[in-house]
Amino acid sequence: MIRIFFLLTVVLTTVSEHSILGRWESRSAAGNTTGVVFKEDQSFEAYVNRKPFTTGKYYMRGDTLHFNDTGCDGSEGIYKTNFFADGDSLYWVAIADTCTERRNGMQRLRMGRVKSGTNRK
Amino acid sequence: MQLMKERISVLLLLVVIPVFILQMAFRPGNTASKIELGRRLFFDPILSGDSTVSCASCHKEQFAFADTSAVSIGVHGRKGKRNTPTIMNILLGRKFFFWDGRAASLEEQALKPIEDPSEMNLPLGQAIARLRKNEQYRNDFQNVFHQLPDTANLAAAIAAFERTLETSNSSFDEWKFSDNPAAVTDDVKRGFELFNGKAKCVRCHFGADFTTQEFRNIGLFDGRKLNDSGRSAITKNREDLGKFMTPTLRNIEMTAPYMHNGMFSTLDEVIEFYNDTRKLVYNPINRDTILSQPLGLNAREKAELKAFLLSLTDKRFK
Repeated sequence: MIRIFFLLTVVLTTVSEHSILGRWESRSAAGNTTGVVFKEDQSFEAYVNRKPFTTGKYYMRGDTLHFNDTGCDGSEGIYKTNFFADGDSLYWVAIADTCTERRNGMQRLRMGRVKSGTNRK
Repeated sequence: MQLMKERISVLLLLVVIPVFILQMAFRPGNTASKIELGRRLFFDPILSGDSTVSCASCHKEQFAFADTSAVSIGVHGRKGKRNTPTIMNILLGRKFFFWDGRAASLEEQALKPIEDPSEMNLPLGQAIARLRKNEQYRNDFQNVFHQLPDTANLAAAIAAFERTLETSNSSFDEWKFSDNPAAVTDDVKRGFELFNGKAKCVRCHFGADFTTQEFRNIGLFDGRKLNDSGRSAITKNREDLGKFMTPTLRNIEMTAPYMHNGMFSTLDEVIEFYNDTRKLVYNPINRDTILSQPLGLNAREKAELKAFLLSLTDKRFK
């Protein structure tokens, strides 16, 4: 019992160490800024150069992101979220996504957290 | 001695860095001056056979760089065969230009209307000769490109200007990007749901500019009255019969009339058409299967969908 409790504590601590909530952005070599805002109500908004790109619902299970959006016929994408730089940057690795275009797009992204007060592109 | 060397190094840096910055700022060929040159060329009728038509004659700024006439009107009042598409919001991932995708780059696109007999009707060689004869342009091209005008730098200048025509300040953008739900009405929000759901618009109009940038046949080709074969005339592929580039929906309020042939004057007509394409064209050839069944939108839903489309107008046009 104690062992399970200890394990649970370790898992929860690891999971909650970095949060996906908030605004993340990535700048491409061509100068385009792709961003996504993960909200507390489990919705998200994605954009390119301040232009809303897609919108959808998500949830996190551990470090795994599950989501669907207005593209890809509503199919679900499942991605492992890899945080780095003290949780201020992240990238995703596909676990399951039948939507090739989205999969290609997601795997290219290396995103940085936009801290409040920072100028957004 | 060492101290002296360090002082000289610092002094050199203090001189070299400002000089470098100044050189970069006023370097001929910098982007700002290229854009400005492109803008002037875009609005100048010098690039048409009879010097009466400019790019802006059809791509009217106040109509989101589209036209109000069903098809483009060129020199001597010559009618083209297609509606002038907006040239705004072409920066993101565009691989093809024109309704039929006959240009693969913005630079290529920029030159074609100049020599098209039904548009500006000026062979490129003559266009370049005119620019070289014009002292102002000769100097400007020298300043920007270190060269006399030629087809490559003419295209580069116009394309550079066109790439600046991005809009991202509509009430929809404010709702979604700035997270301000009060920026739009409830009708707009329900319209957006319909857009992504029952009305199936998102299947072709997905993305930041509301286009998947694919060629689609929406049922406006029957080989008789509606006989513009679109993309297939370029690819020579039967599968492309009646297909046209899916246009952006940004600023759609400003870009009437609609469709490749400008056959619909209002957004209401467009929505009515999509709601049941068979009512208008009985025997379409190669129509996309997405449209094989009526959408079944009621009057209320049509109004909501329209409200959403109107929310895509940039505030510069308000």
